[in-house]
Amino acid sequence: MTTWTNLTAMAKIEVVVDGDDVPAVRDLFLDAGATGYTAVSGVSGFGHHGHHQGKLLFNDRASLSMLITVVPIERSDALIAGIRRFLDDRHGVLFVSETHVSRPDYFA
Amino acid sequence: MTTSTQPTRSDRSVLVADVARAAAFVAPYWPLTSFVAVNPLGGLQDRPFDDATALARRWFGARTHLSLDSYRAEHARGAISDTELDRSIRRRLPWVADAPVLEIGKVRFDAIDVVRWDLVHGPVDEPAGPTGSTLADALDDVVTAWCATYVDDAHVPWAMPDRSLGFYRAWRALAPRDRRLAGLIGRDGRERVASLPDDPVEMLDLALGGRGIGESDRVAAIRTYLLRTPGWAGFARWCDDWAPADREGVRLRMLDLAAVRAALDHVAPEQLELQETDASPESFTARIDAATSAFALAAPSDAEREAVAAVIGRVSADDRAAIWLAAHEVNFRARLLARLEAPRDGSKVAEDRTSPGRPDAQLIFCIDVRSEGFRRHLEALGNYETFGFAGFFGVPVRWRPLGSSIAEARCPVLVSPRHEIAELAVEDDHAYLAACSTSAGLHDAFYAAKGGIGSPFALAESAGWFAGPAAAARTLLPGRAVTSPGSDAGPTRWWKRRSSAPRTAPVIDADADAGAALHSGLTLDERTLFAEAIVTTIGLADFAPIVVLCGHGSDTTNNPHASSLDCGACGGAPGGASARIAVAILNDADVRAGLIERGIEIPDDTVFVAAEHDTTADVVTVFDRDALPAGSLAGVDALQRDLDTAGERNSRDRAARLPGNPARVRDRGHDWAQVRPEWGLAGNGAFIIGPRTITADHDLAGRCFLHSYVAERDPDGVALETIMTAPLVVAQWISAQYYFSTVDPEVFGAGDKMLHNPVGGVGVVVGQSGDLAVGLPMQSVMLGEQRAHDPLRLLAVVQAPLERIEGIILRNSGLRQLVEGEWIHVVARESEQDAWSFRTPSGGWEAWSNADVPAPAAAAAPLLTPLETS
Repeated sequence: MTTWTNLTAMAKIEVVVDGDDVPAVRDLFLDAGATGYTAVSGVSGFGHHGHHQGKLLFNDRASLSMLITVVPIERSDALIAGIRRFLDDRHGVLFVSETHVSRPDYFA
Repeated sequence: MTTSTQPTRSDRSVLVADVARAAAFVAPYWPLTSFVAVNPLGGLQDRPFDDATALARRWFGARTHLSLDSYRAEHARGAISDTELDRSIRRRLPWVADAPVLEIGKVRFDAIDVVRWDLVHGPVDEPAGPTGSTLADALDDVVTAWCATYVDDAHVPWAMPDRSLGFYRAWRALAPRDRRLAGLIGRDGRERVASLPDDPVEMLDLALGGRGIGESDRVAAIRTYLLRTPGWAGFARWCDDWAPADREGVRLRMLDLAAVRAALDHVAPEQLELQETDASPESFTARIDAATSAFALAAPSDAEREAVAAVIGRVSADDRAAIWLAAHEVNFRARLLARLEAPRDGSKVAEDRTSPGRPDAQLIFCIDVRSEGFRRHLEALGNYETFGFAGFFGVPVRWRPLGSSIAEARCPVLVSPRHEIAELAVEDDHAYLAACSTSAGLHDAFYAAKGGIGSPFALAESAGWFAGPAAAARTLLPGRAVTSPGSDAGPTRWWKRRSSAPRTAPVIDADADAGAALHSGLTLDERTLFAEAIVTTIGLADFAPIVVLCGHGSDTTNNPHASSLDCGACGGAPGGASARIAVAILNDADVRAGLIERGIEIPDDTVFVAAEHDTTADVVTVFDRDALPAGSLAGVDALQRDLDTAGERNSRDRAARLPGNPARVRDRGHDWAQVRPEWGLAGNGAFIIGPRTITADHDLAGRCFLHSYVAERDPDGVALETIMTAPLVVAQWISAQYYFSTVDPEVFGAGDKMLHNPVGGVGVVVGQSGDLAVGLPMQSVMLGEQRAHDPLRLLAVVQAPLERIEGIILRNSGLRQLVEGEWIHVVARESEQDAWSFRTPSGGWEAWSNADVPAPAAAAAPLLTPLETS
């Protein structure tokens, strides 16, 4: 079994939403204390609402985006509560997992 | 008053999420410096059009359709026929086909006859106006005044303190000393305001808790707070969701705006209705009585009245509006499609196009409806081939003009530009830049003095000798007046004219820029990719010796909404810079070599030329003429002469639709008293995607966006998908803005331009105070009481295989919402030999027939604007 003795456990939160909802999710991350995030635009795939087209040439808003952030586990509940509430009435999925980081001060 | 208790971290996060959900109902509002047409109901666009407009009527107290009287006027003059009404009734109310025949006064009537009579003659039931108390309105004014103060750092002697803390905290610090507010909320109001929390989330939590709003009603309550001032809420939505990350100036957040309005609701007993309510029940009595009397003539029996009630009682006010709108649209659709099938208005272009050989020049214009007339006139003058393409020419970049440190996006707002292109002088520019610096200093000094408290008096004394004659000249000779240093036509223009501008070029090669540290340019791969996209999306082939990329802009003065007349595809800026960049890419030898590897060979003797069409003056200016090869100059000169002639002819057409002296139509942009320099995109109704052969020689009266597309050259459908997910979407925003600005100029438009006052450097208010006025001024869509725009949902006309179109609609959810929510209509055919099909909202295609419109009559009927048909 792999041991990550010198790494710090944190919560990784990934959200896939419509391009139009990216700014709102970004603000929810930051308001809940996340120190940063990564955004991947033009996410394609197939899911609950059928096929989703990937990147379009001249429209960054029409396709799905994935936003990823990492926060201390004790801070994750609040952030997750906000995202779940936001997704109450719109398309999108939320993934939460444990991750390990080498520079915990970047995320605290 | 409820005591403040601090919400937990999770509670805070959930409340912030509720603000985001409420904010999603608000359409963004772009600052006037880069005015972008938006659908004012864009926040409701995930709902069908009918549902969204029903909500808008309740929430905004707005009109979302023409009044019944206006539709009836259209019907009376033949712009909507009984046949079209019946067609719309059957689609909206399919039950009429099976409804029992009514026997009234021994005469038999079909249900559809009763419904039609009610539509044409029945009593009018107009929606109720907005609700709200006088105190609530006064508190709204307090909010709008503080919003203007918060965002304004250009027109006030000193800025609001603590702005960096956010709107709520900055307001909270000053509000206890706000005398106007104190006057509204009573003597002890200041103490109550002083006791409010410092944090906007805590404020919202306190206010909502104090009003007993539970979690399930919170979004509706916050939405109510925001929609009390929809203009500023729209600007806040823009700040939150659309503003460039590096934008200078403060950010008005939705959270702060909601918190300030909630604070006022908390301290004042204004009785805002915060919970979701059902629509008021509709009364059908008057309409049933009127229809019964009309059909029965006299003394109707109870049975007869019940029979009428069984029909009229099933036709709501929403149904009536929807049927009229649909019938109006069917009329336009029938006229347009018949027009495209009709014999052409001229023969010259058709002859030229069918004759073999290379055209003398190809010109690519923006898809903007204003290009259509100009293209038609130009094509009639020579062996020219024209195309339509989004006016940023497929190069989404930020443009940094010579001498400027600011780069602005020159692309549709749907695209986030990832590259920056700088303009660089190719000869000595020191004198010019010095003149620009002096001019900017003069401008800043002029406005600083104008905006000060005592300095305007000194300014009048010291600068009046210059400003007075300049003002007189501008008033009496608008076409010849020199732009003054204080005018809004550009801070540097007046002084720059005294020093000739150096020749410049866009820096497109990132490698070449490596030493110049301009952070400008694209890699060769990127340039080649953009070039390929331009050529394939347009369907350009058989290149002419001269290929012109012609952007467009509008040069007007004393016009806060000036950028609304510029190019929407360039983010509300003139398109000349985009044309120059695209031309530099397409003339790049390395790019052309790369295109050959991709199967596109541009002949060596083909030169691309950049130009810009001033749509107010109808003048086309060719850029960078000095950089053209000597061998092409004669051809460019000949083309310029034809462009001048086409401009004259097009301006004559426009003069027929504009009030005032037709001979001065091209000077209107320079007249600072002119509230209507041009009609802009008024009249827009359709977006045609197909080869020019299907529209050439047809006078489409400037009512159609024209995007070139040749399905045979796009076998995998990539180009069509690009067109339908970007230019078509932008056109729908434009169409929706014109639609709603026309049906309710006060709520969705910017009201009367004569009363506008610029505020905060971001927008205008009507009169001295009030909310930001969003949308288009009344003068952009109305001529007095007469409409200049037909409020119709955009009609997309596509020539491409239906299965290709269907696939694109199905895999792009935003586009699918537009089509299936009936925000746009789509008709299509695979080729000119095929009949048109209509994409139904429920999916699938049905044959479109113009059978209801007698073909010869429809073909002969010109496609006119409302001004011409009335």
